[in-house]
Amino acid sequence: MPYHLFKCSECIPEREKHAVIKGKGEDISMALPLGYLNTIPGTISERGCAYCGAKHVIGTPMKDVIHLSHGPVGCTYDTWQTKRYISDNDNFQLKYTFASDMKEKHIVFGAEQLLKKNILDAFAAFPNIKRMTIYQTCASALIGDDINALADEIMEENPDVDIFVCNSPGFGGPSQSGGHHKINIAWINQKVGTVDPKIDADYVINYVGEYNIQGDQEVMMDYFKRMGIYVLSTFTGNGSYDDLRAMHKAHLNVLECARSAEYICNELRVRYGIPRMDIDGFGFEPLSASLRKISLFFGIEERALAIIDTETARWKPELDWYKARLMHKKVCLWPGGSKLWHWANAIHEEMGVDVVSVYTKFGHQGDMEKGISRCEEGALAIDDPNELEGLEAMETLQPDIIFTGKRPGEVAKKIRVPYLNAHAYHNGPWKGFEGWVRFARDIYNGIYSPIHQLSLLDISKDEIPTDQGFVTNRMLSDANLSEEVRNDPNLHPYTGNYDNVSHLRNKKYPEFPRAEKDTSVA
Amino acid sequence: MNDEIKSNAEELVNYIMKKCLWQFHSRTWDRKRQNEHILDMTARMIYGEEIKPTTPEEKCYWADAMCLMEAFNNHFGWLQKMDRAKKEAVMTALKDRIDFLTVTGSLNLELTDTHY
Amino acid sequence: MTCEILERKRAGIINPIFTCQPCGAQYASIGIRNCIGIVHGGQGCVMFVRLLFSQHFKESFELASTSLHEDGAVFGALNRVEEAVDVLLMRYPDVKVVPIISTCATEVIGDDIDGVVRKLNEGLLQEKFAGREVHLIPIHTPSFVGSMISGYDIAVRDFVSFFAKKDKPVNKINLITGWVNPGDVSALKHLLQVMDIEANLLFEIENFDAPLMPHGNTVAHGDTTIDDLRNTANAVGTIALNRYEGGKAAEYLQKEFGVPAVIGPTPIGIRNTDTLLKHLSDMTGKPIPESLVHERGIALDALTDIVHMFLADKRVAIYANPDLAIGLAEFCMDLEMLPVLILLGDDNVNYASDKRISALKEQAFFDMEIVTNADLWELEDRIKNKGLKLDLILGHSKGRFVSIDYGIPMVRVGFPVYDRAGIYRNPVLGYQGATYLAETMANTIFTDMEYKKNKEWILNVW
Repeated sequence: MPYHLFKCSECIPEREKHAVIKGKGEDISMALPLGYLNTIPGTISERGCAYCGAKHVIGTPMKDVIHLSHGPVGCTYDTWQTKRYISDNDNFQLKYTFASDMKEKHIVFGAEQLLKKNILDAFAAFPNIKRMTIYQTCASALIGDDINALADEIMEENPDVDIFVCNSPGFGGPSQSGGHHKINIAWINQKVGTVDPKIDADYVINYVGEYNIQGDQEVMMDYFKRMGIYVLSTFTGNGSYDDLRAMHKAHLNVLECARSAEYICNELRVRYGIPRMDIDGFGFEPLSASLRKISLFFGIEERALAIIDTETARWKPELDWYKARLMHKKVCLWPGGSKLWHWANAIHEEMGVDVVSVYTKFGHQGDMEKGISRCEEGALAIDDPNELEGLEAMETLQPDIIFTGKRPGEVAKKIRVPYLNAHAYHNGPWKGFEGWVRFARDIYNGIYSPIHQLSLLDISKDEIPTDQGFVTNRMLSDANLSEEVRNDPNLHPYTGNYDNVSHLRNKKYPEFPRAEKDTSVA
Repeated sequence: MNDEIKSNAEELVNYIMKKCLWQFHSRTWDRKRQNEHILDMTARMIYGEEIKPTTPEEKCYWADAMCLMEAFNNHFGWLQKMDRAKKEAVMTALKDRIDFLTVTGSLNLELTDTHY
Repeated sequence: MTCEILERKRAGIINPIFTCQPCGAQYASIGIRNCIGIVHGGQGCVMFVRLLFSQHFKESFELASTSLHEDGAVFGALNRVEEAVDVLLMRYPDVKVVPIISTCATEVIGDDIDGVVRKLNEGLLQEKFAGREVHLIPIHTPSFVGSMISGYDIAVRDFVSFFAKKDKPVNKINLITGWVNPGDVSALKHLLQVMDIEANLLFEIENFDAPLMPHGNTVAHGDTTIDDLRNTANAVGTIALNRYEGGKAAEYLQKEFGVPAVIGPTPIGIRNTDTLLKHLSDMTGKPIPESLVHERGIALDALTDIVHMFLADKRVAIYANPDLAIGLAEFCMDLEMLPVLILLGDDNVNYASDKRISALKEQAFFDMEIVTNADLWELEDRIKNKGLKLDLILGHSKGRFVSIDYGIPMVRVGFPVYDRAGIYRNPVLGYQGATYLAETMANTIFTDMEYKKNKEWILNVW
């Protein structure tokens, strides 16, 4: 087994089994780190907690819901306004967050009455919102408040409101992933099947594990609508609470982030017989294959092909312009969980970059199986990386750019490695055909930043070039390109708008006649 | 198994591992089921059989199998040129290898966790 | 025309102004050199606080977690404190100061962090790290008490009480800044330098604005040393700029070591800066030099240009750390502005007896509301449902949507500010801070006038 023990972790040898280098001819039966195990205290790991996995990652993208955390104010505050999951209802879920504000007296005497008053006051403040999710925290879990009973009582007294309870305290599991799991299971147990939707469509899906970061979901919705596919619910980005109660009525679960949302798909398959189809919304080829698969399922292949042809013709020349300029740039692909496998192969093949390392903060071994499979040989795979290991890896690998979170990005900056925000994106959305070009554009802008180039110059020692008043990223990227590539008339950089999402909200879509014979598979 | 078949199968394995996600469900029983159905349908289509899925479950396997079959034909021209016996040998080797990588030889300790 | 002091009546918080105590303790701990705090609790209590700091400063700060998991929550997790200390010390050879910061979870389960520190001092540190200077400091910051403000106050006191040691008197003062930005520290150091005063600065955080260098790794870090902290007991006096962020430490030093304490006022605006200089001069016997008269004159000259014509009678809402909020309100009064709403985001009982608040209450010649234990809904609800008219909001980024959705211009102050670039570099303290604040308020109002075409032509001639 090609385990890799970082020098900085020699004193904690149990870390050795959390990093591997995929050697020549090696596969995942030979190279796989341990994963999803309890964190070693004091390592300065990057992991969050199970509360944030439930509330912050999965719960809050639901857009028409009061998100109330039962606990002291910090859990709520800290997980508020640190994400870019937008919605088409003016971002209610981004703007408002609610805490029961548990104080010492409640710890001693119980906080259920406090919570009850909270719930009623929150609904009173927002009379148009009738749905609520209550998140347990460490404190409310430890004092044993029965939130479910209270929610039932309030729903009985107020029939127009509906409340979902997610019991996922911060200490529940090695990382935020524990919270993903708990909220998936809680939702299917408590809420799926409690609404019977009126569906007037032949082809009905749930779009699962998609959080509408910078509009990803809306981009994909555009394709589904153009195919005449009805998206009954999205779990959970830009998703609506009542739509998600009707998940059991879909014909197919289309699963994007299997790390955070496979659990609910698996249960929907077992309980309701709805098949699970795993897709990739990132990358021309994976996205095309994904749209095709969905269309094949419904027997509407030509609709997918039309979209793939149109979009590829529109955007491929722009993607290839970047590819020519990103060839063999070294990338550390260090996201949270799913993106290591969504991106590892697609950025290599379609943008030409070499992924020299993948890591996952909260992923499981299954994520690493996918990620390592999709990497080329020589890549360093790290589970639950810590601060020093990240630095050591960057110093060894000398990447040209790193895709990671905001704070680790600041670490990279200080050793002169440009970073892109893998969670929230720089200028996304990065899903969809156009989105993929935006991603390539962001990588290009990061790597060829003239300011980044200046950060490498030591004016006390190095020769200071005095003949340049400025440098452009184009001057840097094109210096070593062949004449032929540089002037290729078929290629050009990104031509889309700064906001490529809002216009979709008012877009008119073709009406597809209902199938004569009901070929739907419900 | 001769080396040629093995190396042929390995090219297909590599394609699946790089491009597909269906083989990576999180539990042993799901992986076995996925491998079984999708690779079986893929093989049958490669042998020239037409498959008419009827249930949602079959359609879901079939959609993945269709894409895989076409990809194999597009990327690995040698496959179509093989005779039936050789195709079968390659596809059997492929199935064995995918089962090994994702199930029997997998190092993933979570595969047998009974709860999703 | 009255000033009312109210308390939030709703149960629960809609859009909090502050986070909880452990964040404050973590903010204090990053101000000390060779210090990495270990937070005893769930991982989120550290991960998100680090993210918050990095959002505000665009820097990364080192803080560790004991990573409380299920077993620890059930059976106690002191073993994880022991392991965390061991692992941290092994891997960070320069670390000398390790606060053990508690959270709601570990306080509820009753983990005895004082006991484990004693155990570690007698065991692990003797056996494995003999000869190495290591200080383990238990800091109790349950999240269900107070807020990040009291967490900061407690942590500063605990650091001081841990280290302060009576020795030969030193010709220095203690300057406890409170929760400020690097720009404030620069402004304060400038005042000290021209007054020729040396200080134990709690905390020296100028390096929170860390450079990007061509070589090496310049991690942002605090620079207050163990010696600085030790020497606080031997200083000629303590000036704590903020009542609620550092006041406890100043009181401790006075009580324990007879170091005279002057607490507040927060030097926001000309008048409060004058008072600070007077305090500095009284404490040290150093005169206020001509150069500061000059500097003050430049600030007054700048303010004179904008107060009557543009700032007078503008209605302002303020939410921020309490001393900052009060200081801003006082400055607004001097600027002829009307601070009609002041939100204090926690339930500190001492607000009721704060003389500055009493003075505002007595002198407000317009309707003013001061809300304690407030959240941002106290602001938004008044605008949306109760007819509150505002010309300006002063506050941190968490309230940005109130400004955006109701079309009220906003000047970002305090912590956290993540939706404007480089705000941490600008001082709000001292004469420089007064100028920066007043001019930024004016310019923000100008931009809004132009955007809304509200007498935008007035600026044709100025």
